[in-house]
Amino acid sequence: MISYISICIKINEMTYFVSVINTVDTSHEDMIHDAQMDYYGTRLATCSSDRSVKIFDVKNGGQILVADLRGHEGPVWQVAWAHPMYGNILASCSYDRKVIIWKEENGTWDKMYEYTGHDSSVNSVCWGPYDFGLFLACGSSDGAISVLTCSGDGHWDIKKINNAHTIGCNAVSWAPAVVPGSLIEQPTGQKPNYIKRFVSGGCDNLVKLWKEEDGQWKEDQKLEAHSDWVRDVGWAPSIGLPTSTIASCSRDGRVFIWTCDDPAGNTWTAKLLHKFNDAVWHVSWSITGKILAVSGGDNKVTLWKESVDGQWACISDVNKGQGAVTSITDSQQNEQ
Amino acid sequence: MEKMTRVSGTVSGCTMFCHLDAPANAISVCRDATQVVVAGRNIFKIYGLEEDGFVERLNLRVGRKPSLNFSCADVMWHQMEENLLATAATNGAVVTWNLARPCRNKQEQLFTEHKRTVNKVCFHPTEVNMLLSGSQDGFMKCFDLRKKESVSTFSGQSESVRDVQFSIKDYFTFAASFENGNVQLWDIRRPDRYERMFTAHTGPVFCCDWHPEDRGWLATGGRDKMVKVWDMSTNRVKEIYCVQTIASVARVKWRPERRYHLATCSMMVDHNIYVWDVRRPFIPFATFEEHKDVTTGIVWRHQHDPYFLLSGSKDSTLYQHMFKDASRPVDRANPEGLCFGLFGDLAFAAKESLMSAPQSVGDVGRKTYPGGDRRYPIFFFKKPDVTEQFAQVSSALSVFESEAGSSVGMDWFINTAQSYLLSGKPFAELCEHNAQVAKRLNRPQESTTWTMLRIMFSEPANPSLSSNHNLNKSGNLPLVNSFSMKEMSAALNERNKENRQDNLHSLETNLNNNDENEETEGSEGQAEYLFGDAELDDDDLYSMEHDNQAEEPEYLLPQEAFPLRHEIMDHPSAPEPVQEKPESPHVSGSEAESTCLTPMESFSLISVSQLLFSPHLPPKFFCPIVKEMLCYYAEQGDVQMAVSVLIVLGDRIRKEIDELTQEHWYMSYIDLLQRFELWNVSNEVIKLSTCGAIMCLNQTSTTLHINCSNCKRPMSNKGWICDRCHHCASVCAVCHHVVKGLFVWCQGCSHGGHLEHVMEWLKQSKHCPAGCGHLCEYT
Repeated sequence: MISYISICIKINEMTYFVSVINTVDTSHEDMIHDAQMDYYGTRLATCSSDRSVKIFDVKNGGQILVADLRGHEGPVWQVAWAHPMYGNILASCSYDRKVIIWKEENGTWDKMYEYTGHDSSVNSVCWGPYDFGLFLACGSSDGAISVLTCSGDGHWDIKKINNAHTIGCNAVSWAPAVVPGSLIEQPTGQKPNYIKRFVSGGCDNLVKLWKEEDGQWKEDQKLEAHSDWVRDVGWAPSIGLPTSTIASCSRDGRVFIWTCDDPAGNTWTAKLLHKFNDAVWHVSWSITGKILAVSGGDNKVTLWKESVDGQWACISDVNKGQGAVTSITDSQQNEQ
Repeated sequence: MEKMTRVSGTVSGCTMFCHLDAPANAISVCRDATQVVVAGRNIFKIYGLEEDGFVERLNLRVGRKPSLNFSCADVMWHQMEENLLATAATNGAVVTWNLARPCRNKQEQLFTEHKRTVNKVCFHPTEVNMLLSGSQDGFMKCFDLRKKESVSTFSGQSESVRDVQFSIKDYFTFAASFENGNVQLWDIRRPDRYERMFTAHTGPVFCCDWHPEDRGWLATGGRDKMVKVWDMSTNRVKEIYCVQTIASVARVKWRPERRYHLATCSMMVDHNIYVWDVRRPFIPFATFEEHKDVTTGIVWRHQHDPYFLLSGSKDSTLYQHMFKDASRPVDRANPEGLCFGLFGDLAFAAKESLMSAPQSVGDVGRKTYPGGDRRYPIFFFKKPDVTEQFAQVSSALSVFESEAGSSVGMDWFINTAQSYLLSGKPFAELCEHNAQVAKRLNRPQESTTWTMLRIMFSEPANPSLSSNHNLNKSGNLPLVNSFSMKEMSAALNERNKENRQDNLHSLETNLNNNDENEETEGSEGQAEYLFGDAELDDDDLYSMEHDNQAEEPEYLLPQEAFPLRHEIMDHPSAPEPVQEKPESPHVSGSEAESTCLTPMESFSLISVSQLLFSPHLPPKFFCPIVKEMLCYYAEQGDVQMAVSVLIVLGDRIRKEIDELTQEHWYMSYIDLLQRFELWNVSNEVIKLSTCGAIMCLNQTSTTLHINCSNCKRPMSNKGWICDRCHHCASVCAVCHHVVKGLFVWCQGCSHGGHLEHVMEWLKQSKHCPAGCGHLCEYT
């Protein structure tokens, strides 16, 4: 029951060449649910069913365990790094209904805050754009989404959106700080309205957009396309982009790309990226927001890029690359 | 152990519930799984289990004023005698009930030997008349139902007894759990002392349950939120599994027919019922989330049927849970983690099995083993069991690195950021340099873009030069301009050496001339060279140059040329007199320059140029295209290109793109640079940016921390006097006067003084002038 990191496998886009470079033990005793690189790409945080959060230093291709954070009483589903301008801060959410915010001070990680306001498993955490302060959104199986804002003195202000997704919320992702559509082709002199917005996906098969109005969170849009639980949503970074782009993936195997050219953010169009044969668990945007990584139930990662004509094409296809390991799909959960 | 077929079909039903009149404390089923008894402080009823619902069969609370004997903490239905029930009353009584009694009151026997609440009653699994009780008073009593009194009393010698359980396999053994965390094993024949005792939990052990098949296994649950499985078969009691739940464990029940499964419920906070696979202690195998208040009693409906679980709760409901309706946290759990790293690398964690081939596991642990029986002996059970996939799950975490040069990676970004020149050289040279950089990094599109930009915006040599020359001749050229001219010519040299393929002999000579001229420094020489060069060049290439030259004096006014020159000096891009690239022979330097020298102001020039022919288009003409191009790059996520071009082009394009867009690009690029820890580049970009909002970035957030040179403690106030030692903090250590103006100090010892004094001092001595003995360093 040992989980391994294999720091391995170079992708060569041209040849799809795959090779294993190194394998390192994460020493997680159960399934790893999330792995997140920090802002500078030098540290990797992993979280597992074994209740632990581990932080690895991955500078220069090394993998050194630098911290093992214990504090959750259930499987830890997701971790998220805050922007470094607030220090080294990591948030984790767990089946134990808690969100723990960890902070590194003088080389040691400690709990900075523990949020226990959810009635069920907390499935997703995501820090908002640093421009607006230190705040994060948490989506829970109790259907609610909480937005926690640090008021600076260690106090956290909590706003809860109840019943955001019936049955449960699986994923949250913040919009970039700037509303991109409002920048290009904007009549000069008019300041774009900086609204905090995020997207969430849930067990009601919906993708929902939320925005803050007068300090209150309101449902902005409801995007319907999926026919099963939405497992992950990702708002693309808007580096120079004129449009807002959101990727969503679902258990129904579909990945949709939602775009909105309208500065007001009212009209969203869905484009089916691909229909996979198995559930799709994750979508992740590259730092420039141009390449989308998708991971599905078949233990495969595919990379997608929008071509000039607006079609999304698979540019790379990454298997785990360890020949001995065959992919496990869904068989074992059907046991009664 | 393969009993699973024995019961299939005998029990059927669905998930259902009924409301009770009062909160339940405990439930128990009769042996044939058709009835359930619910007991609580104010309830004592028997319900029939029908296909589609509960049917109340009997209310055992009878009499006008029910005695406290009806207030039940626990209830147990005899597993052999179907009419026999026992309850533990909160007043300390142990009561047995006989449903076969003809009257309404079914109470059979009453034992009032315990002094405090009886927490638990337990019938012997095989001995009909034997009943065991455990009480808050710390005693356990064994009753023979044929007698009026207990036959033996066991003193735990410790705190309250929370649970007592007869071993299913060992006739004489029972286990008792205590509030102090201990578990004791007793032999009913030996009431004097326990057989063994061990500390199972920190804090009370609320429950224990013997494994229905493995005689040595005992599961215990405690307030410490743990469920532990103990192996009693060895000499030393050994903890073999430990499951940590999220709340204190009130009840634990092994699941029938599932060797590793047990159900738990909590006594506070958590209302759910969990079914765990003890080999996977972190995540419940299944949960039942129906109850709205604390679940107080759980029981598997039939001792050989794993699919039906009954539960009673403080929310006054009685539930039958179907296993197929349970929620499976594992299903909701994300088996994969995916993260796009900064450098285009992907971190990907995925569930993996240690098995070589997956197989469908419909029924955990009860399938024939592939390739014969490969079960491990008990003490090896922590080893992965090949058939049970739920139990052993791990993930492989891979980091995929993108190959350098692929569009996925970000190496190009870093390389480009570090290699691009944004200022400090003439415009064309910057373009050329950047084009080369892009080319080297295998980014032909960017390379071409730079080249095109150079062509579009570079100033052709002749007109400006001729005008300069003219000016020169008139003797008005200021010194500043002469410097810029020199720079230009130097650039020209290089370029000519590098790029010119036409090898005009005359040009060579010109170059040589130019070299000499450069050394001799002076505007005259420059002008001479440039003029000559331009002339040759033009003659070679275009006849129209003459038109240009002819027209030049008419519209190029000296007073315009001056400020322009000056401005170009200040900005990163300086005009480049001549450029010739093999691939763009049709745009000669002269045309481009003629257009570019006067970007916005001289409309006359523009109109004239436009009249000539297309390569003569003014920069203004290109601006929309360039703007579009920048937007394209930005859309492609390449803000680097957008910003670099923006900076290099400077005023040529700046006004074309609205401020906010520029600001956004700058912000995005600076953000990216900082993510890649390219602080120097980021700083340079901030410095070179023309957006007000960006430029102020560098003016914020610089804080200087100073120590008092006298007491060496940090200065907190802004004045001259240290508020701690009340001395003037900025006294020169050499001349002992207060320093005004430039003050230099050693960061090691906080001593310092006038810059010149300290410099002088440190020339002679390595030690601090204040005499503190510190070896100061001045760099």
